[in-house]
Amino acid sequence: MAWNPGEDVVAVQRAPKPGGAGGAYRAFGETLRGLKTTFGRMLERPVVYQYPEEKVPVYPRFRGRHKLHKFADTGLEKCVGCSLCAAACPADCIRVVAAENTPEHRVSAGERYAAVYEINLSRCIFCGYCEVACPFDAITMGHDYEMSDYNRTDLIFTKEMLLAEPLERTPLRTEDE
Amino acid sequence: MSDKLLFDRIDEPGLDTIEVYMRRGGYESLKRALRMTPEEVLQNLLDSGLRGRGGAGFAMGKKVSFLPRGAMDKYLVCNADESEPGTFKDRELMQKSPHMLVEGMIIAAYAAGANRSFIYIRGEYELQAMKLEAAIHEAREAGFLGEDILGSGHSQTLVLHRGAGAYICGEETGLLDSLEGKRGNPRLKPPFPANQGLYQGPTLINNVETLATVPHIIKMGGTEYAKLGVDNSAGTKLISISGNVQRPGNYEIELGMKSRDIVYGLAGGPEPGREIKFWFPGGSSSPVLTPEDLELPYDFDSMAKAGSMLGSGAIIVVDDSNSVVDVALTLAKFYRHESCGKCTPCREGTNWTVKMLQRIHEGDATPMDLDIIASVQDQIMGNCLCVLGDAMAMPLSSMVAKFRGEFEQYIEEKRAAAGFGEMPEPSPIAIAGAA
Amino acid sequence: MPRPERRFVTFSIDGREVSAPEGVMLVDGAKYGDVEIPVFCYEPKLGAPVGACRMCLVEVEGIPKLQTACSTPVKDGMVVHTQTDRVREAQNSVIEFLLVNHPLDCPVCDKGGECPLQDITFGWGRGISRMVEPKRHFKKPLELSPLIAIDRERCILCYRCVRFSQEVSEDYQLVLNERGASTYVGTFDGHPYVAPFSGNIIELCPVGALTSRAYRFRARPWDIEGAGSVCTHCPAQCNVEFTVRDERVLRVLARDNEGVDDGWLCDKGRFAYQAIHSEERITEPLVRDSESGELVPATWEYALDVAAAALQAGGSKTAALAGGTTTNEEGFLLQRVVREALKSPHVDSRAGLPQVDLGLQQALAAPGLQATIPDLEFAHTVLVLGTDPIDDVASLDLRIRKGVRRNGVKLAVATSRPSALDPNAKLWLRYAPGGEHAFVAALEAAVTGSGDLSALCDAADADPKALEALAALLKDGGEDVVILWSQRLGAAPLPALLNVAAALRLEGRDGAGLIEVPVGGNGRGLREAGVQSNGGPGLSAPKAPGKPAREIAAALASGDLSTLWLLHADPVRDYADRRLWERAAANADALVAHATLLNDTLREHATVVFPAESYAEKEGTIVNLDGRVQRLRVAIGRPGAVRAEWQVIADLSKRLGLDLGVLTGPMATRQLVEAVPFYAGLTLKEIGGRGVRWQEREAASAAPAAPAGPVESGEPLPAPRPNGALRLGTYRPIWAAPEVEVSPALKFLAAKQQAELSPVDAERLGVDNGAKVSVTAGDATVLAKVFVRGNVPAGTVFLAEATAEQSATELLGEAPQLVSVEPYGQRPPVPLEGLARGARPSDDEVNS
Repeated sequence: MAWNPGEDVVAVQRAPKPGGAGGAYRAFGETLRGLKTTFGRMLERPVVYQYPEEKVPVYPRFRGRHKLHKFADTGLEKCVGCSLCAAACPADCIRVVAAENTPEHRVSAGERYAAVYEINLSRCIFCGYCEVACPFDAITMGHDYEMSDYNRTDLIFTKEMLLAEPLERTPLRTEDE
Repeated sequence: MSDKLLFDRIDEPGLDTIEVYMRRGGYESLKRALRMTPEEVLQNLLDSGLRGRGGAGFAMGKKVSFLPRGAMDKYLVCNADESEPGTFKDRELMQKSPHMLVEGMIIAAYAAGANRSFIYIRGEYELQAMKLEAAIHEAREAGFLGEDILGSGHSQTLVLHRGAGAYICGEETGLLDSLEGKRGNPRLKPPFPANQGLYQGPTLINNVETLATVPHIIKMGGTEYAKLGVDNSAGTKLISISGNVQRPGNYEIELGMKSRDIVYGLAGGPEPGREIKFWFPGGSSSPVLTPEDLELPYDFDSMAKAGSMLGSGAIIVVDDSNSVVDVALTLAKFYRHESCGKCTPCREGTNWTVKMLQRIHEGDATPMDLDIIASVQDQIMGNCLCVLGDAMAMPLSSMVAKFRGEFEQYIEEKRAAAGFGEMPEPSPIAIAGAA
Repeated sequence: MPRPERRFVTFSIDGREVSAPEGVMLVDGAKYGDVEIPVFCYEPKLGAPVGACRMCLVEVEGIPKLQTACSTPVKDGMVVHTQTDRVREAQNSVIEFLLVNHPLDCPVCDKGGECPLQDITFGWGRGISRMVEPKRHFKKPLELSPLIAIDRERCILCYRCVRFSQEVSEDYQLVLNERGASTYVGTFDGHPYVAPFSGNIIELCPVGALTSRAYRFRARPWDIEGAGSVCTHCPAQCNVEFTVRDERVLRVLARDNEGVDDGWLCDKGRFAYQAIHSEERITEPLVRDSESGELVPATWEYALDVAAAALQAGGSKTAALAGGTTTNEEGFLLQRVVREALKSPHVDSRAGLPQVDLGLQQALAAPGLQATIPDLEFAHTVLVLGTDPIDDVASLDLRIRKGVRRNGVKLAVATSRPSALDPNAKLWLRYAPGGEHAFVAALEAAVTGSGDLSALCDAADADPKALEALAALLKDGGEDVVILWSQRLGAAPLPALLNVAAALRLEGRDGAGLIEVPVGGNGRGLREAGVQSNGGPGLSAPKAPGKPAREIAAALASGDLSTLWLLHADPVRDYADRRLWERAAANADALVAHATLLNDTLREHATVVFPAESYAEKEGTIVNLDGRVQRLRVAIGRPGAVRAEWQVIADLSKRLGLDLGVLTGPMATRQLVEAVPFYAGLTLKEIGGRGVRWQEREAASAAPAAPAGPVESGEPLPAPRPNGALRLGTYRPIWAAPEVEVSPALKFLAAKQQAELSPVDAERLGVDNGAKVSVTAGDATVLAKVFVRGNVPAGTVFLAEATAEQSATELLGEAPQLVSVEPYGQRPPVPLEGLARGARPSDDEVNS
């Protein structure tokens, strides 16, 4: 005996049969409706950005390449090498090795500083957790998204690179944009 | 016979010498006690219903009976570290009639079976220490101390030890640690001193007044003594009255006397034109009482029922010329200074309370801070290793509870004076704390 | 005192019926019901609870006030609540109070991430603070000692460190200063806290107040991994956990093993890991260049070829010595190669000490006669014979102190040099250096009641009355007697020691017996693996007896032996008679060594130096004092070109024509287990993380049976009479080791030679503390600074062995020595009294 599918039967909706007035409309009317959009755009200016000559402006909260900060007044690094960013990082791309400040060699404001601070940007997923974890606002996400390179090792950013003022390459979206 | 026991003709010249003391019938109780068995002496103490005069008010006879029987090194320690603010009764007693204490200690040691006894006297009592030292010497010369006292077979040594000025050494286990030569910190209880006290031996610790009462109990007989005073508060009590009264000083009363009669009758009440604002019934550690409570009889149970305690019997009267905030701050500063630092709630709680009261004093507080102060006192109470933390928390929380209006007024006035003017928006932290 | 029996009681906690051993505190009892009660000050290892932090308050039905769970023992039928509002309120309060003065600088604090205060605040705290007032401030960071940094702002005054110093290590240095909220931990007058066990307070501290200066800011807890292994710096073999980051050991923590170390480490064990990553570490094979005569780096193949050729040339005239961190497997393979491939019987690991008759060794190692290390804590009486644990086997010092303090163990100390345990001992005795045999014989006479006690005491220069008191204590003080004796006693006293044990009926009694303190980290294991001249694997008789170390030296010096092979051994530094060994090393045709650090001997005389593994890189087994076989596990990768040592030995063996059949570390272990009958069936898995005592396994019955009956002890030689000169006694300080000298953190402790003199002798010589003296025996002289020590017996001077310079081994010959001590330098002797402090010549003047 044939198996009774019961309520599992799925009703198949089929397209209307071709031909007739409805068929003519579907063949030409709908096509014209689509073409309306096509022709409507012909008069507009192109929307393609001529990257890299021209760059898309980003929103203020866009998460791009990281920046490390210094105190404006004393010039000391804000980072104390606490490694909390490394602990928070889901991609495990931050490596911090701390060292102790001495009166002769003072790098940060606290007792310790980051002797090594590296972010492997080829691994980074730009989630911003490091910024959230930082108790001293020493690391923030910048706006720079242009980080392609020819060599993987060049994508490991050192402390000096992260501390340096990045080239302003990314325009920021203005308020009404 | 006068109605006084301890302070009977206390100002008689030369009472601190053994001649005058014995001429007045001194050391007769000792002789009588030594004729009894230690059990009989103990029974007399139990019958007398004598409660400890140092502050806790624990029945003295019961405390003696807790000591294990049998041959071992047992100790008797007299707590003469009278450091409670407002208390100065033991000082007068030791200075004017040191032999009464010595005699009481010998009898108590006999009852407890202790052969080594110590008097731990506070370092500031230099004159009293000298008098006691002389009295101990005289008693030893007279054969009341040493080997085989009066042929009874009881031997006893008595050593006077001077403290170095710490309130915490008035706490019995802190006192024992200090006596052993250690840092004077309270110990964890149990074990109680009756089982493991000085040098890990069973130890009986009593206040000066308690021990000085013992000869009188032996003289009168325990049941006779119990007839003095009121139910559950037998006998007489030395009270020290200080503060805003016209005749401050030490008085001996029969327990159960009306408080108003003490403050207004004996001490003469406040200066004319002044009103009593509040009073401490039992030293600075007791919760404060209001003038209405003056109608209460002055005994252990009535004071407890009123939410305070009889403590060491030191009445401090504060009249309306003083601000409750100043009293609270002075008190808190004392306890912060004297906290030993061993347990967390007392160490940090006293310190924090002082800082908060200081902010009130400087006009840098809001009425919300009163909730924090009250809550901090609640957090201290009952959570500490010894009673020092409670000793600050109890009076302070009673002050904040009973005089909150005055605190708030003080805060507003100080704020205005300090130029804060309008109240700022309360901070979220304060709101959370008040909840 | 014998171990207390454990009875279980049932109580209720948070509505759960829990059964826990009677008498344990609620905090521990609650764990049986999976209830955690937070604590700060409670630490059972520190002794009685103090109840200071008030974190553990719980509600016990029937008691109105909240009780501290750390000090309330569980009782039958007790009903406990830890989750009520009242308890929660109290916990919140205590956390709030603790944080009132805590700086909350977790990001820069080394403890952050592994901090009990963080964890408990997170778990039991309110989560907000109402404190707006300024916090307490101290100067920070401060050095409590060169090893420990103290941050007093972070301190929560839990008393743990102070209690450790006062009640566990008993150095009485740490105290609390001031009172109340201004209390702080410190030492008298701010002196640095330097003590052999000071590092333990770092691990005890529940906050970041005490941190290791060596580990300071090296890593955060999420950067690191833990690797459990065993410390091999001394025979105590404490269990440790290496903290590893980027293939470097950054820290050593205790891995609490009740059967071995009781959770404490000495500072050498805790900080000498720095030697692993020392600049001076050898990381590639070195071969002596025939042209320049210098050691130059070489490839492994070349080095192995040269070494094999040298050993082949030596043949049966080769001698091998093992020591230090050599594992059982390495020792076993070494003796196989020497005995089977080179056909030479000369292997030894006894650090130059006299050879002990094999039968005697078997009798002393009889499983029934062995006490365990925990027995030291529960015995009625412990006799420490000829050793000062603090120098020879550090962590046992704390174990013995614990027994005396907490369990009322009666301690007797019988040594020639005053011991650090003297103040804890019921009885301490002194005998003259060189009088060991006479002393033990006298003890035998006193215990058995036969023999001429007074003559023997005279020969040992000991007090007969004290000996009688000791005998009475051992006989009548309770049946459980543990005798901790040192291998340094030599061979002659051992028969008498065996007779003492027999007279006290220690054999077969649980909780009683003998424990030998060997010299060298794995002394016992190497002997059991067959690395000794007169014993093969499993204390069996070898085919042919070889020369013990001392005779090897003489034979090398005279040319009877030609080649020396050293496995982690440094005989010139460590063994007696330094000058003989210097001659032996210089005279040897070839010297092949496996070493982690270069020393002068190797630099001048070695033919080939193989880079050896450090103890954190090794795998293998070692044997503890009481026969506990423990496992070394690889914690970090080997640096540079370093290769596994079993592999190097196997490669050499192959070149010498013997295939050892060892391709992995565990294969070597299996070979060892098969060769030693009483290890039979032992697997690495069975050894596990805690080790296993072979005496407690079934295979122990295969231990060689010793000849029965009392042993003839022989006539003891009297200790030399001073007669105007002084007797020389030596000891090896805990800090006399190359790994201490190359560890930056420990360098300041490295042992320097000092002459311990009695006040009488010091006065006679006209010298005071710190003065320089020359100690002369024959034509050898050692310079030392004077240390006048009250209880050094008159007529004896004690010098340190194995110091980097001026070692006492220079003076030690075959027989006990008399030495003459003279003030050093031209200046006339200064009288003791009337010497103003400023009037003393400065060190520079003395040195010039």
